[in-house]
Amino acid sequence: MRDNHITEILDSKPFASLSETELATMRAHVASCASCSRAYDAAQISALLIKERADEAAQKSLDANPFFQTRVMAAWRERRETNVSALRRLWNSTGALVTTMAATTAALAVLAFVAPSSETINQPTAALVPYSAESVVLDQSDNDQVTDDQVLSAIYSDDDEGR
Amino acid sequence: MEGWLTRIATNTCLNLIRTASRRPELVTAELSEDETDWLEKKASGGAGSHHSDVEDRVVAADLAARLLAGLSPEDRLALTMIDGEQASVSDVAEMTGWSESKVKVRAFRARKKARQALEKLLGRKREASGTDFSL
Repeated sequence: MRDNHITEILDSKPFASLSETELATMRAHVASCASCSRAYDAAQISALLIKERADEAAQKSLDANPFFQTRVMAAWRERRETNVSALRRLWNSTGALVTTMAATTAALAVLAFVAPSSETINQPTAALVPYSAESVVLDQSDNDQVTDDQVLSAIYSDDDEGR
Repeated sequence: MEGWLTRIATNTCLNLIRTASRRPELVTAELSEDETDWLEKKASGGAGSHHSDVEDRVVAADLAARLLAGLSPEDRLALTMIDGEQASVSDVAEMTGWSESKVKVRAFRARKKARQALEKLLGRKREASGTDFSL
């Protein structure tokens, strides 16, 4: 490794992506090679500076962009509008079916609960009303009933007439 | 559509950078005292640690800008995207319209140039101070 300088490896890929094996090999080499030691230090610092520069640029783009909030809000509104129109499309395609089903359910509910209860209410009403048809008939029959005295007098009067 | 727009934007930016005047290579005489201190600190073993001090970050960003200014726009773009933003070679190729081989060559060349510029600085500093900065 003494004659195999590490500059090719250093320049071939980003310093941060070097594997542990490659780093160990390079550290072993730089311990005995002054020029490669300097190259290793420089590559390390260069990688650090470039990363720092990228981080700063990213931070600046977030902090100093006056249109950032506008863009975020516009994206949010667009997303919300997409959701609303999707619901509207769903309602347009299934609205008639849903309305029909609701109307049918309501009609069935009326038939199941309201109609039977009206029948059961009519029965006691007829019994309780004093001038119902039944009471009139009963009253009439009561009025036509002949008393015992009338029956006896009718029998005996016939007998008397026969004598 | 998105790739097409990205490519147009990339080429426009490259043209703008290309027409701008190139800054000279980073030399020791241009370094401020803070930048020299920062370099010495990192070269003496602190390079692996990510500095948190705000002042340190400002110095590093300035130093990085000057280091990258010595590269051609194409090389700078390849290095910043791949080493700084962790973009893949294929991503950069797609954005720029370059072949993957060209991206790799540009990144390799940029990495080498940046390393050599810093190496010169460190060498001069070591010669000037007589200090051994080896890790």
